[in-house]
Amino acid sequence: MKPWKVLAGLLLAAPLVAFAQAFPAKPVQLMVAYPAGGSTDIAARIVAAIAEKDLGQSIVVVNKGGAGGQVGWTEMSRAKPDGYYMGFINLPALNTVILDPDRKAAFNADAFVPVINQVLDPGIIWVKGDSPYKNLKDLIDAARKNPQKISAATTGILSDDHLAILMMEEAAPGAMFRIVHFEGGAPVMTAVMGGHIECAFDNVGSVFRRIRTGELRALAVMDTQRSPFIPDVPTMRELGYPTVISSSTRGIAVPKGTPQPVIKRLEQSLKKAMDDPEHLKKMEEAGLQLRVMVGEEYAKYYRELHAKAAKYTEWARSRPHK
Amino acid sequence: MEGVQYLASGFASALTPANLAFALAGCILGTLIGVLPGLGPAAGTAILIPLTFTLDATGAIIMLAAIYYGAMYGGTITSVLINVPGEAASVVTCLDGYQMARQGRAGAALGIAAIGSFVGGLFAAAALVMVAPPLARFALSFGPPEFFALMFLGLCLVTGLAGQSLAAALLMTVLGLLLALIGIDPVRGAPRFTFGIPELYDGLGFVPVVMGLFGVAEILLVVEAPFRRLVETKLKGLWPSAEEWKRSAGAIGRGTGIGFVLGLIPGVGAVIPTFMAYIVEKRLSRHPEKFGTGAIEGVAAPETANNAYANASMIPLLVLGVPSSPTIAILMGAFIINGLTPGPFLFKERPDLVWTVIASFFIGNVILLVLNLPLVGLWARLLRLPYQYLCAGTLLFCIVGAYSLKGTLFDVGVMLVFGIIGYLLRKLGFPLAPAVLALILGPFMEKSLRTSLEMSGGDFGIFVTRPISASLLACAALILAVSALRLAALKSIRGGTL
Repeated sequence: MKPWKVLAGLLLAAPLVAFAQAFPAKPVQLMVAYPAGGSTDIAARIVAAIAEKDLGQSIVVVNKGGAGGQVGWTEMSRAKPDGYYMGFINLPALNTVILDPDRKAAFNADAFVPVINQVLDPGIIWVKGDSPYKNLKDLIDAARKNPQKISAATTGILSDDHLAILMMEEAAPGAMFRIVHFEGGAPVMTAVMGGHIECAFDNVGSVFRRIRTGELRALAVMDTQRSPFIPDVPTMRELGYPTVISSSTRGIAVPKGTPQPVIKRLEQSLKKAMDDPEHLKKMEEAGLQLRVMVGEEYAKYYRELHAKAAKYTEWARSRPHK
Repeated sequence: MEGVQYLASGFASALTPANLAFALAGCILGTLIGVLPGLGPAAGTAILIPLTFTLDATGAIIMLAAIYYGAMYGGTITSVLINVPGEAASVVTCLDGYQMARQGRAGAALGIAAIGSFVGGLFAAAALVMVAPPLARFALSFGPPEFFALMFLGLCLVTGLAGQSLAAALLMTVLGLLLALIGIDPVRGAPRFTFGIPELYDGLGFVPVVMGLFGVAEILLVVEAPFRRLVETKLKGLWPSAEEWKRSAGAIGRGTGIGFVLGLIPGVGAVIPTFMAYIVEKRLSRHPEKFGTGAIEGVAAPETANNAYANASMIPLLVLGVPSSPTIAILMGAFIINGLTPGPFLFKERPDLVWTVIASFFIGNVILLVLNLPLVGLWARLLRLPYQYLCAGTLLFCIVGAYSLKGTLFDVGVMLVFGIIGYLLRKLGFPLAPAVLALILGPFMEKSLRTSLEMSGGDFGIFVTRPISASLLACAALILAVSALRLAALKSIRGGTL
């Protein structure tokens, strides 16, 4: 190779190398689209505290709660794509915000580049500990016999729980629930424990402790494998409903246009932090099931989930009793 | 009494120097959080949770609980001194507390608030020992229809809260309800009255609106009359007078009861008990016209209810594992992070810890009183500052508070706009309290109304076929009827002109 070519190559590559090495030169923001203290926030603070050691700059968790995440994600879609702005994306909440035309979202699915997934909290169907429904079959039979009479709580309209009810109704023809939407897990707990609502579609992380103590009875976990937190509860696949797979996942994304070397740098620090024993221990204590996905695997998951959410969002909007 | 025995050993472990230090640090931090508007108890507690990661479980929870109580009291200080509620539960304290401060009685207002808080908190903590489990189970019978009926009752009561004119009060209530409609429809998810502004999707922030209506509007009114001190009269005594004690005693007793009962019911929130306590005092008073002009009962009752509520709301958490407010939910998160699951089994599995924490509630209430009474004089002296400095300081404080809520300038704008609206309404003689209560209750009322209808498949009968809901609605109907009759009587006296 001629010397001038080497020189030219070096000169051309220099800014890139310099940029990758210079990043990060200042603290990095990590936006959480929910208020402080929620499970997304807690998990974010745990991983940020570990990842900043490797990144060499502090990671500042900023809460931009509101409108089921829409306020924070709107800001994220408009943020400067320079790597100093990352944000948590919660799926399928982000998908349904984009997909529901009523929400008039100012961004689409391509506005974000998924970097790394942290948590996958599987869906679960549960009833009160002394409920007459001993297993999933009892509940489905009742919902078939009395369509739209058995009340089922969700943690919000177009939440993963709402979509899960629709998946269940699709997989068990003739069964139809009376869907009652609440805002978040706490009111669902109060309403079902007070005997006002018969069953709840929820996530393992928020209820598994009460299932262990017997206060609540889990009927099925909406996953392909059993939850390590409640290994006695059968999965939907075991029960013969392999299509009823639902979860809430939380991962980190950056705005579209963020340079690839910067994404790689962030991914490297975050991945290292998520594999750290301290992270594993804290997440175990918080009852959050880890599923670390990076790069193309996470991007593929994001795309496929979006397509799946599109089908059920459309269905939710056309169902006579939403 | 098994509970009392356990409590004694709880005191023994809560009184170790380390745990006492945690409670003291928590009270101080909490008071600071309460003083800063915008940074409410929920956000404050959440931000401070990592501080407790390095402590052991007992110490961490003692400290967080102390932060919570401290924050509930801290909000009072700014309400009384500069008419800016540090957090939502102190809104109603502005009505009479600030008027007292203008008459030079800031010390008495802050003193009675500290003492009322102490009594209410102590009683609720004692009740937690004695009667918590059966009461908490009863509270679960409040489903969405019962909530709706309770809020409806509150809104009917508020018509009596207003000043001279029932029509003006009703107008302001409706204005508050209309403002509460802004944002995403809680059931269907469609935005309403948002004009495509994402910041409005979550509704108008309650704190910026109230800081505007009360704090900024007050500054505008003060600026009208230049070259005078904010408080013209001398600071008369920092201790409530014998007469004021007498008037407050009943208010403190009733405030304790109201705060305690409402604290048992998950989901009521800290604001409703304070308003309820205030309304009850005004209804029972022989001089209802004095309310809003500096009646000490109007400070004592809500402040007592506020702290009784804060302590009682621990009962559903400890007994049932159900968090009754966002702040309590964050405390529950702290329990869980420390490897403890609140709920009926916690009493069986870790009685040592539970009773130490309960004992620390008593200690926290004492520390709060000891901490705050000597400071009352210091706070009250702030009012001697010339008004131009105090006004500038207040405005800065409001702007920082509004900004720190979500970190957006939008809320600052909301606060300034509502400052102007509040100024105009005050000039026109419209009462602000009904609008504020309707704005707070509106979203909850709508949510529980529509959830109830989802439960019943659209049948309104659900509100009258359930006994608790039916009785609450009957009370509301009775109150409306009495108000209407009184109005009719008033009308005939005045010869039909109103």
